[in-house]
Amino acid sequence: MGMHLGFLFPSWGLGTRYRKSVVKEKKMKINFILNENEVSIDVDPMKRLLDILREDFGLTGTKEGCGEGECGACTILLDGKPVTSCILNAIHADGKEIYTVEGIAEKHIGKLLIDCFDETNAVQCGFCFPGFLVSSYYYLKTDGEKNLDKIKKALSGNICRCTGYQKIFESVMMACVRKS
Amino acid sequence: MKFVKPKDVENLLKNLEEDKGKKYFLAGGTDLNVQIKNGIIRDANIIYINHLTELSGISEENNIILIGATTSIMDILDSDLIKRHLPYFQRSLESFASPLLQNTATIGGNIANGSPTADVIPLLLVLNAKVELSSKSQCRLVYIKDFFTGYKQNVMKSNEIITHIIIDKNAEKDFLTFYEKVGSRRTLTISKVTLAGMKKVSGNRISQIRLAVGSLSEFPRRLFKVEDYITDKTLTEIDFSKVENLLGKEITPITDLRSDKEYRYHVCVNLIRTFLNQ
Ligand SMILES: Cc1cc2nc3c(=O)[nH]c(=O)nc-3n(C[C@H](O)[C@H](O)[C@H](O)COP(=O)(O)OP(=O)(O)OC[C@H]3O[C@@H](n4cnc5c(N)ncnc54)[C@H](O)[C@@H]3O)c2cc1C
Ligand code: FES
Ligand code: FES
Repeated sequence: MGMHLGFLFPSWGLGTRYRKSVVKEKKMKINFILNENEVSIDVDPMKRLLDILREDFGLTGTKEGCGEGECGACTILLDGKPVTSCILNAIHADGKEIYTVEGIAEKHIGKLLIDCFDETNAVQCGFCFPGFLVSSYYYLKTDGEKNLDKIKKALSGNICRCTGYQKIFESVMMACVRKS
Repeated sequence: MKFVKPKDVENLLKNLEEDKGKKYFLAGGTDLNVQIKNGIIRDANIIYINHLTELSGISEENNIILIGATTSIMDILDSDLIKRHLPYFQRSLESFASPLLQNTATIGGNIANGSPTADVIPLLLVLNAKVELSSKSQCRLVYIKDFFTGYKQNVMKSNEIITHIIIDKNAEKDFLTFYEKVGSRRTLTISKVTLAGMKKVSGNRISQIRLAVGSLSEFPRRLFKVEDYITDKTLTEIDFSKVENLLGKEITPITDLRSDKEYRYHVCVNLIRTFLNQ
Protein backbone atom coordinates (compact mmCIF):
# COMPACT_ATOMS: atom_id res chain seq x y z
CA MET A 1 0.00 0.00 0.00
CA GLY A 2 3.02 2.23 0.40
CA MET A 3 2.89 3.88 -2.98
CA HIS A 4 -0.64 5.09 -2.70
CA LEU A 5 -0.40 7.55 0.08
CA GLY A 6 2.25 9.05 -2.11
CA PHE A 7 -0.48 9.77 -4.63
CA LEU A 8 -2.49 11.63 -2.10
CA PHE A 9 -0.12 14.12 -0.67
CA PRO A 10 2.43 15.55 -3.08
CA SER A 11 1.45 18.66 -4.93
CA TRP A 12 1.27 17.92 -8.60
CA GLY A 13 3.30 19.45 -11.31
CA LEU A 14 0.26 21.32 -12.54
CA GLY A 15 0.91 23.99 -9.98
CA THR A 16 -1.94 26.09 -8.81
CA ARG A 17 -3.49 28.07 -11.51
CA TYR A 18 -3.86 31.57 -10.25
CA ARG A 19 -7.37 32.72 -10.65
CA LYS A 20 -8.53 36.23 -10.12
CA SER A 21 -11.68 36.33 -8.13
CA VAL A 22 -14.56 38.23 -9.70
CA VAL A 23 -15.37 39.81 -6.42
CA LYS A 24 -12.79 42.13 -5.01
CA GLU A 25 -14.60 42.20 -1.78
CA LYS A 26 -13.18 42.45 1.67
CA LYS A 27 -12.43 39.12 3.20
CA MET A 28 -14.90 37.24 5.27
CA LYS A 29 -14.46 34.92 8.18
CA ILE A 30 -15.40 31.38 7.20
CA ASN A 31 -15.63 28.70 9.88
CA PHE A 32 -15.91 25.03 9.16
CA ILE A 33 -14.81 21.60 10.27
CA LEU A 34 -12.01 20.23 8.15
CA ASN A 35 -11.09 16.58 8.57
CA GLU A 36 -12.50 16.68 12.09
CA ASN A 37 -10.73 19.88 13.15
CA GLU A 38 -12.47 23.19 13.64
CA VAL A 39 -10.89 25.75 11.36
CA SER A 40 -11.44 29.40 10.64
CA ILE A 41 -10.10 31.46 7.80
CA ASP A 42 -10.26 35.05 6.58
CA VAL A 43 -10.80 34.80 2.89
CA ASP A 44 -12.52 36.12 -0.23
CA PRO A 45 -15.89 34.35 0.04
CA MET A 46 -15.86 33.60 -3.69
CA LYS A 47 -12.47 31.91 -3.71
CA ARG A 48 -12.84 28.40 -5.03
CA LEU A 49 -13.18 25.83 -2.29
CA LEU A 50 -10.62 23.69 -4.12
CA ASP A 51 -8.06 26.50 -3.88
CA ILE A 52 -8.79 27.06 -0.20
CA LEU A 53 -8.09 23.41 0.53
CA ARG A 54 -4.95 23.26 -1.57
CA GLU A 55 -3.44 26.69 -0.95
CA ASP A 56 -4.67 27.78 2.45
CA PHE A 57 -4.63 24.37 4.08
CA GLY A 58 -1.98 22.60 2.01
CA LEU A 59 -4.31 19.68 1.34
CA THR A 60 -3.03 18.88 -2.12
CA GLY A 61 -4.61 15.44 -2.27
CA THR A 62 -7.63 17.12 -3.79
CA LYS A 63 -6.76 17.55 -7.46
CA GLU A 64 -7.82 19.91 -10.19
CA GLY A 65 -8.58 18.24 -13.50
CA CYS A 66 -11.16 20.01 -15.62
CA GLY A 67 -12.02 22.77 -13.16
CA GLU A 68 -15.61 22.64 -14.41
CA GLY A 69 -17.35 19.89 -12.48
CA GLU A 70 -16.93 17.22 -15.11
CA CYS A 71 -14.10 14.94 -13.97
CA GLY A 72 -14.43 14.51 -10.21
CA ALA A 73 -10.70 14.87 -9.45
CA CYS A 74 -11.60 17.53 -6.88
CA THR A 75 -14.25 15.50 -5.04
CA ILE A 76 -14.65 16.13 -1.31
CA LEU A 77 -17.36 15.37 1.23
CA LEU A 78 -19.41 18.43 2.16
CA ASP A 79 -21.75 17.72 5.04
CA GLY A 80 -21.29 14.06 4.28
CA LYS A 81 -22.05 14.20 0.56
CA PRO A 82 -19.59 13.98 -2.32
CA VAL A 83 -19.32 17.20 -4.34
CA THR A 84 -16.89 18.79 -6.79
CA SER A 85 -14.91 21.46 -4.94
CA CYS A 86 -13.73 23.21 -8.13
CA ILE A 87 -17.16 24.73 -8.68
CA LEU A 88 -17.89 25.54 -5.07
CA ASN A 89 -16.83 28.67 -3.22
CA ALA A 90 -15.38 29.38 0.18
CA ILE A 91 -18.78 30.56 1.37
CA HIS A 92 -20.26 27.13 0.64
CA ALA A 93 -18.05 25.71 3.40
CA ASP A 94 -19.23 28.14 6.05
CA GLY A 95 -20.63 26.24 9.04
CA LYS A 96 -20.21 22.93 7.22
CA GLU A 97 -18.23 19.77 7.76
CA ILE A 98 -15.66 18.82 5.16
CA TYR A 99 -13.64 15.70 4.58
CA THR A 100 -10.89 15.72 2.01
CA VAL A 101 -9.15 12.61 0.76
CA GLU A 102 -6.51 13.09 3.47
CA GLY A 103 -9.17 12.78 6.15
CA ILE A 104 -10.77 9.81 4.46
CA ALA A 105 -7.44 8.01 4.12
CA GLU A 106 -7.31 7.97 7.93
CA LYS A 107 -10.67 6.29 8.30
CA HIS A 108 -11.10 2.55 8.58
CA ILE A 109 -13.13 2.30 5.37
CA GLY A 110 -10.73 4.65 3.63
CA LYS A 111 -7.80 2.37 4.47
CA LEU A 112 -9.78 -0.66 3.39
CA LEU A 113 -10.47 0.98 0.04
CA ILE A 114 -6.85 2.00 -0.49
CA ASP A 115 -5.80 -1.62 0.11
CA CYS A 116 -8.36 -2.91 -2.37
CA PHE A 117 -7.34 -0.38 -5.05
CA ASP A 118 -3.76 -1.40 -4.43
CA GLU A 119 -4.32 -5.14 -4.61
CA THR A 120 -6.40 -4.82 -7.75
CA ASN A 121 -3.84 -2.56 -9.40
CA ALA A 122 -6.64 -0.13 -10.10
CA VAL A 123 -4.41 2.91 -10.05
CA GLN A 124 -2.20 3.91 -12.96
CA CYS A 125 -1.20 7.57 -13.10
CA GLY A 126 -3.20 8.13 -9.93
CA PHE A 127 -4.57 11.54 -10.74
CA CYS A 128 -8.18 10.42 -10.51
CA PHE A 129 -7.60 8.26 -7.45
CA PRO A 130 -8.34 10.80 -4.67
CA GLY A 131 -11.70 11.58 -6.28
CA PHE A 132 -12.58 7.92 -6.71
CA LEU A 133 -11.58 7.27 -3.12
CA VAL A 134 -13.98 9.93 -1.84
CA SER A 135 -16.89 8.75 -4.00
CA SER A 136 -16.23 5.09 -3.13
CA TYR A 137 -15.98 5.95 0.55
CA TYR A 138 -19.37 7.61 0.38
CA TYR A 139 -20.81 4.56 -1.35
CA LEU A 140 -19.44 2.19 1.27
CA LYS A 141 -20.70 4.36 4.12
CA THR A 142 -24.21 4.86 2.75
CA ASP A 143 -24.91 1.65 0.86
CA GLY A 144 -22.04 -0.76 0.46
CA GLU A 145 -23.96 -3.45 -1.41
CA LYS A 146 -21.75 -5.43 -3.80
CA ASN A 147 -23.76 -4.35 -6.80
CA LEU A 148 -22.00 -3.32 -9.98
CA ASP A 149 -24.80 -1.11 -11.29
CA LYS A 150 -25.03 0.80 -8.05
CA ILE A 151 -21.28 1.21 -7.87
CA LYS A 152 -21.10 2.46 -11.45
CA LYS A 153 -23.77 5.00 -10.68
CA ALA A 154 -22.06 6.12 -7.47
CA LEU A 155 -18.79 6.67 -9.35
CA SER A 156 -20.34 8.15 -12.48
CA GLY A 157 -19.10 11.66 -11.70
CA ASN A 158 -15.47 10.52 -11.62
CA ILE A 159 -13.48 10.14 -14.78
CA CYS A 160 -10.36 8.02 -15.23
CA ARG A 161 -8.41 8.39 -18.42
CA CYS A 162 -6.03 5.51 -17.83
CA THR A 163 -7.75 2.41 -16.57
CA GLY A 164 -11.02 1.75 -18.35
CA TYR A 165 -12.77 1.53 -14.96
CA GLN A 166 -13.09 -2.25 -14.65
CA LYS A 167 -10.41 -2.53 -12.00
CA ILE A 168 -11.77 0.43 -10.13
CA PHE A 169 -15.20 -1.21 -9.97
CA GLU A 170 -13.57 -4.47 -8.92
CA SER A 171 -11.74 -2.71 -6.10
CA VAL A 172 -14.92 -1.22 -4.75
CA MET A 173 -16.72 -4.58 -5.03
CA MET A 174 -13.86 -6.13 -3.09
CA ALA A 175 -14.13 -3.46 -0.40
CA CYS A 176 -17.89 -4.09 -0.14
CA VAL A 177 -17.23 -7.74 0.58
CA ARG A 178 -14.45 -7.07 3.06
CA LYS A 179 -16.39 -4.46 4.92
CA SER A 180 -19.26 -6.79 5.71
CA MET B 1 -18.52 44.66 -6.89
CA LYS B 2 -20.13 43.34 -3.84
CA PHE B 3 -20.72 40.11 -1.99
CA VAL B 4 -23.72 39.85 0.26
CA LYS B 5 -24.79 37.08 2.59
CA PRO B 6 -28.23 38.13 3.79
CA LYS B 7 -29.29 36.86 7.19
CA ASP B 8 -32.75 35.84 6.07
CA VAL B 9 -35.18 36.12 3.15
CA GLU B 10 -36.74 39.30 4.51
CA ASN B 11 -33.31 40.92 4.52
CA LEU B 12 -32.56 39.60 1.08
CA LEU B 13 -35.75 41.10 -0.38
CA LYS B 14 -35.02 44.42 1.30
CA ASN B 15 -31.56 44.35 -0.21
CA LEU B 16 -33.00 43.69 -3.69
CA GLU B 17 -35.25 46.70 -3.31
CA GLU B 18 -32.35 48.99 -2.45
CA ASP B 19 -29.92 47.75 -5.03
CA LYS B 20 -31.53 47.46 -8.44
CA GLY B 21 -28.31 46.82 -10.34
CA LYS B 22 -27.33 43.62 -12.08
CA LYS B 23 -26.62 40.86 -9.64
CA TYR B 24 -26.29 37.12 -9.45
CA PHE B 25 -27.60 34.78 -6.84
CA LEU B 26 -25.17 32.15 -5.70
CA ALA B 27 -27.04 28.93 -4.94
CA GLY B 28 -25.19 25.70 -5.76
CA GLY B 29 -22.78 27.66 -7.95
CA THR B 30 -22.53 24.93 -10.60
CA ASP B 31 -23.49 27.28 -13.41
CA LEU B 32 -22.18 30.51 -11.93
CA ASN B 33 -18.69 29.21 -11.20
CA VAL B 34 -18.25 27.79 -14.68
CA GLN B 35 -19.36 31.13 -16.12
CA ILE B 36 -16.90 32.93 -13.86
CA LYS B 37 -14.10 30.59 -14.89
CA ASN B 38 -14.82 31.14 -18.55
CA GLY B 39 -14.93 34.91 -18.15
CA ILE B 40 -18.61 35.17 -19.05
CA ILE B 41 -19.23 36.81 -15.71
CA ARG B 42 -16.88 39.52 -14.48
CA ASP B 43 -17.16 42.14 -11.79
CA ALA B 44 -20.39 40.72 -10.55
CA ASN B 45 -22.47 41.60 -7.54
CA ILE B 46 -23.21 38.36 -5.82
CA ILE B 47 -25.85 37.48 -3.28
CA TYR B 48 -25.38 34.18 -1.53
CA ILE B 49 -28.66 32.32 -0.95
CA ASN B 50 -27.73 28.69 -0.33
CA HIS B 51 -27.78 29.07 3.46
CA LEU B 52 -31.34 30.40 3.60
CA THR B 53 -33.31 27.53 5.10
CA GLU B 54 -36.61 29.19 4.18
CA LEU B 55 -35.74 28.64 0.53
CA SER B 56 -34.91 24.98 0.73
CA GLY B 57 -36.91 21.83 1.23
CA ILE B 58 -40.02 20.12 -0.08
CA SER B 59 -43.43 20.41 1.54
CA GLU B 60 -47.13 19.89 0.81
CA GLU B 61 -50.00 22.26 1.25
CA ASN B 62 -53.54 21.11 0.45
CA ASN B 63 -53.27 19.90 -3.13
CA ILE B 64 -49.88 21.28 -4.08
CA ILE B 65 -46.23 20.37 -3.65
CA LEU B 66 -43.91 23.25 -2.83
CA ILE B 67 -40.24 22.92 -3.70
CA GLY B 68 -37.92 25.57 -2.29
CA ALA B 69 -35.71 27.25 -4.88
CA THR B 70 -32.43 26.12 -3.32
CA THR B 71 -33.53 22.50 -2.97
CA SER B 72 -30.89 20.32 -4.56
CA ILE B 73 -31.62 17.80 -7.30
CA MET B 74 -30.51 15.08 -4.86
CA ASP B 75 -33.05 16.24 -2.28
CA ILE B 76 -35.75 15.87 -4.93
CA LEU B 77 -34.47 12.39 -5.79
CA ASP B 78 -34.49 11.43 -2.10
CA SER B 79 -37.88 12.90 -1.25
CA ASP B 80 -40.68 10.55 -0.17
CA LEU B 81 -43.24 13.24 -0.86
CA ILE B 82 -42.08 13.58 -4.46
CA LYS B 83 -41.93 9.81 -4.80
CA ARG B 84 -45.53 9.51 -3.67
CA HIS B 85 -47.03 12.25 -5.81
CA LEU B 86 -44.63 12.97 -8.65
CA PRO B 87 -42.79 9.73 -9.41
CA TYR B 88 -42.30 10.60 -13.08
CA PHE B 89 -40.64 13.88 -12.18
CA GLN B 90 -38.40 12.12 -9.69
CA ARG B 91 -37.44 9.22 -11.94
CA SER B 92 -36.60 11.52 -14.82
CA LEU B 93 -34.16 13.56 -12.75
CA GLU B 94 -31.99 10.51 -12.17
CA SER B 95 -30.32 11.24 -15.47
CA PHE B 96 -29.24 14.68 -14.27
CA ALA B 97 -25.42 14.90 -14.59
CA SER B 98 -23.82 12.79 -11.85
CA PRO B 99 -24.44 12.31 -8.12
CA LEU B 100 -21.66 14.84 -7.47
CA LEU B 101 -23.56 17.49 -9.40
CA GLN B 102 -26.95 16.41 -8.08
CA ASN B 103 -25.72 17.12 -4.55
CA THR B 104 -25.04 20.79 -5.34
CA ALA B 105 -27.18 21.83 -8.31
CA THR B 106 -30.45 23.48 -7.25
CA ILE B 107 -33.81 23.54 -8.97
CA GLY B 108 -34.06 27.33 -8.77
CA GLY B 109 -30.63 27.70 -10.33
CA ASN B 110 -31.58 25.39 -13.17
CA ILE B 111 -34.65 27.48 -13.98
CA ALA B 112 -33.07 30.91 -13.51
CA ASN B 113 -29.98 30.05 -15.48
CA GLY B 114 -32.42 29.06 -18.20
CA SER B 115 -30.07 27.13 -20.42
CA PRO B 116 -31.71 25.62 -23.52
CA THR B 117 -30.39 22.29 -22.21
CA ALA B 118 -31.68 22.67 -18.63
CA ASP B 119 -33.15 19.29 -17.72
CA VAL B 120 -35.65 20.30 -15.10
CA ILE B 121 -37.50 22.77 -17.29
CA PRO B 122 -39.09 20.41 -19.88
CA LEU B 123 -40.41 18.32 -16.98
CA LEU B 124 -41.87 21.34 -15.23
CA LEU B 125 -43.42 22.41 -18.54
CA VAL B 126 -45.41 19.21 -19.03
CA LEU B 127 -46.34 19.21 -15.34
CA ASN B 128 -47.76 22.74 -15.68
CA ALA B 129 -45.62 23.92 -12.80
CA LYS B 130 -45.61 27.46 -11.48
CA VAL B 131 -42.69 29.55 -10.36
CA GLU B 132 -43.16 31.72 -7.27
CA LEU B 133 -41.40 35.06 -7.62
CA SER B 134 -41.04 37.14 -4.51
CA SER B 135 -40.17 40.74 -3.92
CA LYS B 136 -40.46 42.82 -0.78
CA SER B 137 -43.96 43.96 -1.59
CA GLN B 138 -45.45 41.02 -3.43
CA CYS B 139 -45.33 37.42 -4.34
CA ARG B 140 -46.56 36.33 -7.76
CA LEU B 141 -46.99 33.02 -9.50
CA VAL B 142 -45.94 32.57 -13.10
CA TYR B 143 -46.55 29.43 -15.12
CA ILE B 144 -43.22 28.05 -16.22
CA LYS B 145 -44.46 28.20 -19.83
CA ASP B 146 -44.69 31.99 -19.46
CA PHE B 147 -41.42 32.42 -17.56
CA PHE B 148 -38.95 32.64 -20.43
CA THR B 149 -38.91 35.43 -22.96
CA GLY B 150 -35.73 34.68 -24.93
CA TYR B 151 -32.32 33.10 -24.74
CA LYS B 152 -31.51 33.22 -21.00
CA GLN B 153 -34.16 35.93 -20.65
CA ASN B 154 -37.09 35.73 -18.30
CA VAL B 155 -39.84 37.77 -16.66
CA MET B 156 -38.06 38.12 -13.33
CA LYS B 157 -37.68 41.74 -12.23
CA SER B 158 -34.55 43.12 -10.63
CA ASN B 159 -36.18 43.14 -7.20
CA GLU B 160 -37.41 39.56 -7.46
CA ILE B 161 -36.06 36.13 -6.68
CA ILE B 162 -37.45 32.66 -7.27
CA THR B 163 -38.63 31.40 -3.90
CA HIS B 164 -40.57 28.22 -4.73
CA ILE B 165 -41.64 25.92 -7.51
CA ILE B 166 -45.22 24.76 -7.23
CA ILE B 167 -46.63 21.59 -8.73
CA ASP B 168 -50.13 20.13 -8.36
CA LYS B 169 -50.13 16.95 -6.33
CA ASN B 170 -52.11 15.14 -8.97
CA ALA B 171 -50.30 16.66 -11.94
CA GLU B 172 -49.21 13.20 -13.05
CA LYS B 173 -52.42 11.36 -12.18
CA ASP B 174 -53.81 9.20 -15.01
CA PHE B 175 -51.12 10.32 -17.45
CA LEU B 176 -48.76 8.11 -19.39
CA THR B 177 -45.35 9.72 -19.27
CA PHE B 178 -42.17 9.93 -21.27
CA TYR B 179 -38.74 11.44 -20.76
CA GLU B 180 -35.77 10.89 -22.98
CA LYS B 181 -32.46 12.66 -23.44
CA VAL B 182 -30.57 11.92 -26.60
CA GLY B 183 -27.04 12.99 -25.88
CA SER B 184 -23.46 12.12 -26.49
CA ARG B 185 -22.24 10.92 -23.11
CA ARG B 186 -23.69 8.68 -20.50
CA THR B 187 -23.71 10.68 -17.34
CA LEU B 188 -22.74 14.23 -17.97
CA THR B 189 -25.08 14.61 -20.88
CA ILE B 190 -25.52 18.21 -21.67
CA SER B 191 -28.27 16.97 -23.86
CA LYS B 192 -28.68 17.38 -27.55
CA VAL B 193 -32.40 16.78 -27.55
CA THR B 194 -34.67 16.23 -24.60
CA LEU B 195 -38.33 15.35 -24.86
CA ALA B 196 -40.73 15.29 -21.94
CA GLY B 197 -44.22 14.06 -22.61
CA MET B 198 -47.48 13.27 -20.86
CA LYS B 199 -50.55 11.83 -22.55
CA LYS B 200 -53.98 10.39 -21.91
CA VAL B 201 -55.42 7.86 -24.27
CA SER B 202 -59.03 6.81 -24.68
CA GLY B 203 -59.47 3.83 -26.94
CA ASN B 204 -57.21 4.45 -29.91
CA ARG B 205 -57.38 8.15 -29.60
CA ILE B 206 -54.92 10.44 -27.89
CA SER B 207 -57.30 12.51 -25.85
CA GLN B 208 -54.74 14.77 -24.23
CA ILE B 209 -51.06 15.38 -24.82
CA ARG B 210 -48.35 17.67 -23.52
CA LEU B 211 -44.92 17.80 -25.05
CA ALA B 212 -41.89 19.89 -24.10
CA VAL B 213 -38.44 19.98 -25.65
CA GLY B 214 -35.03 20.99 -24.44
CA SER B 215 -31.95 21.87 -26.51
CA LEU B 216 -33.94 22.69 -29.62
CA SER B 217 -34.88 26.29 -29.00
CA GLU B 218 -33.48 29.32 -27.15
CA PHE B 219 -35.19 28.00 -24.05
CA PRO B 220 -37.03 24.75 -23.33
CA ARG B 221 -40.63 25.03 -24.44
CA ARG B 222 -43.97 23.37 -24.89
CA LEU B 223 -44.93 22.28 -28.40
CA PHE B 224 -48.46 23.65 -28.39
CA LYS B 225 -48.96 23.48 -32.16
CA VAL B 226 -47.83 19.86 -32.30
CA GLU B 227 -50.00 19.05 -29.31
CA ASP B 228 -53.06 20.59 -31.00
CA TYR B 229 -52.41 18.63 -34.14
CA ILE B 230 -52.06 15.32 -32.31
CA THR B 231 -54.96 15.74 -29.90
CA ASP B 232 -57.99 13.57 -30.73
CA LYS B 233 -56.17 11.68 -33.45
CA THR B 234 -55.42 7.99 -33.57
CA LEU B 235 -51.85 6.95 -34.27
CA THR B 236 -52.60 6.09 -37.90
CA GLU B 237 -54.11 9.52 -38.51
CA ILE B 238 -50.90 11.30 -37.58
CA ASP B 239 -48.64 12.42 -40.39
CA PHE B 240 -45.15 12.78 -38.93
CA SER B 241 -43.83 14.97 -41.71
CA LYS B 242 -46.57 17.37 -40.69
CA VAL B 243 -45.34 17.10 -37.10
CA GLU B 244 -41.82 17.98 -38.23
CA ASN B 245 -43.20 20.90 -40.15
CA LEU B 246 -45.12 22.22 -37.15
CA LEU B 247 -42.03 21.81 -35.03
CA GLY B 248 -40.16 24.13 -37.38
CA LYS B 249 -42.94 26.69 -37.11
CA GLU B 250 -43.12 26.48 -33.36
CA ILE B 251 -39.57 27.03 -32.27
CA THR B 252 -36.69 29.33 -32.95
CA PRO B 253 -33.73 27.03 -33.28
CA ILE B 254 -30.47 27.55 -31.48
CA THR B 255 -27.33 27.02 -33.40
CA ASP B 256 -24.35 25.66 -31.66
CA LEU B 257 -21.73 23.12 -32.44
CA ARG B 258 -23.36 20.12 -30.87
CA SER B 259 -25.36 19.04 -33.84
CA ASP B 260 -27.27 20.61 -36.63
CA LYS B 261 -30.82 21.74 -36.61
CA GLU B 262 -32.36 19.28 -39.08
CA TYR B 263 -30.79 16.38 -37.26
CA ARG B 264 -32.21 17.56 -33.98
CA TYR B 265 -35.69 18.11 -35.43
CA HIS B 266 -35.53 14.62 -36.77
CA VAL B 267 -34.48 13.17 -33.43
CA CYS B 268 -37.25 15.10 -31.76
CA VAL B 269 -39.91 13.78 -34.14
CA ASN B 270 -38.63 10.26 -33.62
CA LEU B 271 -38.89 10.73 -29.87
CA ILE B 272 -42.47 11.94 -30.27
CA ARG B 273 -43.23 8.91 -32.42
CA THR B 274 -41.69 6.56 -29.84
CA PHE B 275 -43.78 8.15 -27.12
CA LEU B 276 -47.01 7.91 -29.12
CA ASN B 277 -46.31 4.28 -29.91
CA GLN B 278 -45.97 3.37 -26.24
C1 LIG C 1 -20.38 19.27 -15.07
C2 LIG C 1 -21.75 19.84 -15.15
C3 LIG C 1 -22.79 19.02 -15.57
C4 LIG C 1 -24.09 19.52 -15.64
N1 LIG C 1 -25.08 18.69 -16.04
C5 LIG C 1 -26.34 19.16 -16.12
C6 LIG C 1 -27.41 18.30 -16.53
O1 LIG C 1 -27.24 17.09 -16.77
N2 LIG C 1 -28.65 18.84 -16.65
C7 LIG C 1 -28.88 20.14 -16.36
O2 LIG C 1 -30.02 20.57 -16.47
N3 LIG C 1 -27.91 20.98 -15.96
C8 LIG C 1 -26.65 20.52 -15.83
N4 LIG C 1 -25.64 21.36 -15.42
C9 LIG C 1 -25.94 22.79 -15.15
C10 LIG C 1 -26.22 23.15 -13.68
O3 LIG C 1 -25.69 22.20 -12.80
C11 LIG C 1 -27.71 23.31 -13.39
O4 LIG C 1 -28.26 24.27 -14.23
C12 LIG C 1 -28.01 23.67 -11.92
O5 LIG C 1 -29.33 23.29 -11.62
C13 LIG C 1 -27.80 25.12 -11.57
O6 LIG C 1 -28.11 25.31 -10.19
P1 LIG C 1 -27.10 26.05 -9.19
O7 LIG C 1 -27.76 26.08 -7.87
O8 LIG C 1 -25.78 25.42 -9.24
O9 LIG C 1 -27.06 27.49 -9.84
P2 LIG C 1 -26.04 28.69 -9.60
O10 LIG C 1 -24.82 28.46 -10.39
O11 LIG C 1 -25.90 28.98 -8.14
O12 LIG C 1 -26.88 29.87 -10.26
C14 LIG C 1 -27.16 29.84 -11.63
C15 LIG C 1 -27.96 31.08 -12.05
O13 LIG C 1 -29.25 31.06 -11.48
C16 LIG C 1 -29.51 32.24 -10.73
N5 LIG C 1 -30.26 31.81 -9.56
C17 LIG C 1 -29.93 30.79 -8.73
N6 LIG C 1 -30.89 30.63 -7.80
C18 LIG C 1 -31.84 31.56 -8.06
C19 LIG C 1 -33.09 31.89 -7.44
N7 LIG C 1 -33.56 31.25 -6.36
N8 LIG C 1 -33.82 32.91 -7.97
C20 LIG C 1 -33.37 33.56 -9.05
N9 LIG C 1 -32.21 33.31 -9.67
C21 LIG C 1 -31.44 32.31 -9.17
C22 LIG C 1 -28.17 32.85 -10.45
O14 LIG C 1 -28.27 34.27 -10.41
C23 LIG C 1 -27.33 32.39 -11.63
O15 LIG C 1 -27.45 33.27 -12.71
C24 LIG C 1 -24.34 20.88 -15.31
C25 LIG C 1 -23.30 21.69 -14.88
C26 LIG C 1 -22.02 21.19 -14.79
C27 LIG C 1 -20.92 22.07 -14.31
S1 FES D 1 -11.58 19.46 -11.36
FE1 FES D 1 -13.43 19.54 -10.35
S2 FES D 1 -14.61 18.17 -11.47
FE2 FES D 1 -12.83 18.28 -12.65
S1 FES E 1 -5.31 6.35 -13.17
FE1 FES E 1 -4.82 7.95 -14.50
S2 FES E 1 -6.68 9.04 -14.63
FE2 FES E 1 -7.21 7.32 -13.49
